[in-house]
Amino acid sequence: MNIDKVLQKGLKSFLPLKDDLPTEMPAYVNSFGYFFGTMTLASLAVVFMSGTVLAFFGPDWWHFSSVGQFFNAMHFWSVEVFYLAVIMHLTFKFFKAAWRGNRFRTWVNGWIIFIITIFSGISGTLLQANWDAQWNSQQGKAAFNALGLSWMNWMNYTTVLTLHVVFFAGLILFFVVTHLAFVRSESPVHPIVNGGKGEIDDGNARALGEGDEK
Amino acid sequence: MSVLSDKNLRGYPMKPYDMVREGLIVFGVMLTIILVLAAVWGFPGKNYGPLTIKEVATKAPVAFLKRTVSYFSGTSRLQTYGPPYTHNDNHAQHIGPFCPNCWVGVIYPLNAKVDFVMQPLQQIAALDPNVATALNTYQNASAKQQTEWNNAYTSALNKAQVTHGRVVLPAGDYGPVPVLMNGMLTFARTGLLEAALTFNTNPNMAPYETNYTRPLLYLGGPIMNTVAGHFDEKGGEWGMSHIAGPYPGAWWLWPYTFLYQIPAIGNSPNGDLIAFLIFLVMLLIAVLAPMIPGLNRIPYVIPVYKIIWRDWYAKYPSGIPSNASRKRV
Repeated sequence: MNIDKVLQKGLKSFLPLKDDLPTEMPAYVNSFGYFFGTMTLASLAVVFMSGTVLAFFGPDWWHFSSVGQFFNAMHFWSVEVFYLAVIMHLTFKFFKAAWRGNRFRTWVNGWIIFIITIFSGISGTLLQANWDAQWNSQQGKAAFNALGLSWMNWMNYTTVLTLHVVFFAGLILFFVVTHLAFVRSESPVHPIVNGGKGEIDDGNARALGEGDEK
Repeated sequence: MSVLSDKNLRGYPMKPYDMVREGLIVFGVMLTIILVLAAVWGFPGKNYGPLTIKEVATKAPVAFLKRTVSYFSGTSRLQTYGPPYTHNDNHAQHIGPFCPNCWVGVIYPLNAKVDFVMQPLQQIAALDPNVATALNTYQNASAKQQTEWNNAYTSALNKAQVTHGRVVLPAGDYGPVPVLMNGMLTFARTGLLEAALTFNTNPNMAPYETNYTRPLLYLGGPIMNTVAGHFDEKGGEWGMSHIAGPYPGAWWLWPYTFLYQIPAIGNSPNGDLIAFLIFLVMLLIAVLAPMIPGLNRIPYVIPVYKIIWRDWYAKYPSGIPSNASRKRV
C-alpha cells in the first residue's frame, strides 16, 4: 500500500482544490446569514495575530508601554468581537437547521471549538495580571476545584501561559481547520424545502432534473 | 468538487465566487473595527492593576493584620479548605457521594500558618533581632499560652487605632504577638512579602519559580471579597462574566453565571458543583438540539430561514430549484 497514494485519493474525494479555493458557490448563498462565519474567522485571526505580538514582548511590555497597551487592547477587543460573531454564527446556523444532510458532525465540531475557547478565555483572563485576573483566580479556583480540575494549577503563571498560547490555541486551530474542511467538503446546507413539511428534509434535497415529474 | 459537494449541489444553480477575496475584505473590516475599539477604549483592565500586599498593608493595615493573624492562629477558612490544599474532605463541594474534588485529593498541600507566616517570620528574624527574640519567646511558650495571646491579639484588632500608619492596640497581654505581626506588616510594606511567599514555594527554583499560589491566596477571603464587592464582582453579582469598570467582560458566560443568581445555588456550599452540572446539561441540550424532538423543530416554527433565504424563495418558493439548469464545471 502506498500511503501517499491513499492520502491523495482521500483528499481528491474529500477536499479537492476546487473546494479549498472555490470559484463558485450555490446561488442560495446570498444572504447576511452567511456573514457571521467569516466574521468569526476574521476576528479569530486578529486574536491570534495580536496574541502572537503579546507573546513576543511579555507582560511588562503589554502593561507599561503605550504600544504594548495598544496590542493588549486589540487582543481584548478582538475576543469581544469574536464572541459576538460566534454567537451570531451559531444562532443563524441553528435557524437554518444547518445540521441537516449529515452535517451534525460540523455542528458538534463548532460547539467543541466554542467550549475550548471558553477555557482559553478564562486562561487569558488570568494572564491579564491585573485585579480581574487576581479575582478570577480566586473565584475560578473554587469552581475548578469543585469540578475536580484542581490538578490544572491556575495560579502557576507558566502553566496558564503555556495552556493559553500552546494547548488551547493549538486545539482551537486544529478544530477550526477541521470545521472548515467539513464545511467546504459538504457544501453549504440547502435552503429548507416546503417549510420542512410533508417530506424528510435532509438538507440535501435533489433538484428536479429535466424529465422529472413536476 | 468533493464527492459530497458534487452530490449535494447537483442541479443547483451556481454563481461566481471568490472566497479568499471575501475573507480578506471581512478581515479588513474586522481589523478596522478592532483597531478603533482598541484606540478609543484601550484595554479596560489597565485602570485596575493587581491588588498588592504592600498596598493592603499600607492602606488597610488592620485588615492585613487580621488576615495574617488568622493564618498565624490557624483560624482562617483556608486552613480547612479541603482538597487540593488540606485534607478536610468534608469541606470539599459534593453532591452526595459525588465529590470530584475529593477524588483528586490534596495535590498542592498548604499549611498556611507555616507557609504564609512562620517562614517569612524566620526570614524577617534574620534581619530584625526584635522579631528574632519575639519569635523565640513565642515558640518556647506552651500551646495554651500561644492560643491566649493569639485570641487576645485578634480581639484587640477590632479596637485598634491607626495613627500615622502605626497600629495602636488597647492595653493588654498579647505576649510577643504584636512584635511578630508588626514585623510582618513592616515586611509587607516594603513590598517583599509576595517575593518571599513565591521564593518559599520552592527555594531550589528561586530564579524560575512562577507558581504564585501563595501570594495569590494570601489576600483571598475577606480582603479580596471587600474589593470585589466594591466593583460589584461577587458571585451573586454575575462574578466572572464582567470586569471591573464599565466595560464588557466575559459576557458569553452569562448563561453560567446566571445560575449563581438563583439563591438556592448561589448560597449553597456546593454551589459551584451544582451550577456546573446544570450548565453541563444546558450545554449538552444545545449541542444535541438537532437530535432532540421539539427543539429540532424550532427553526421551522420560528422561520428565520425565510428571511435568510428570501431571495432564493422568491425564485423557488418550494426551496428546490425547478430544473437542473446548473452548468456543470
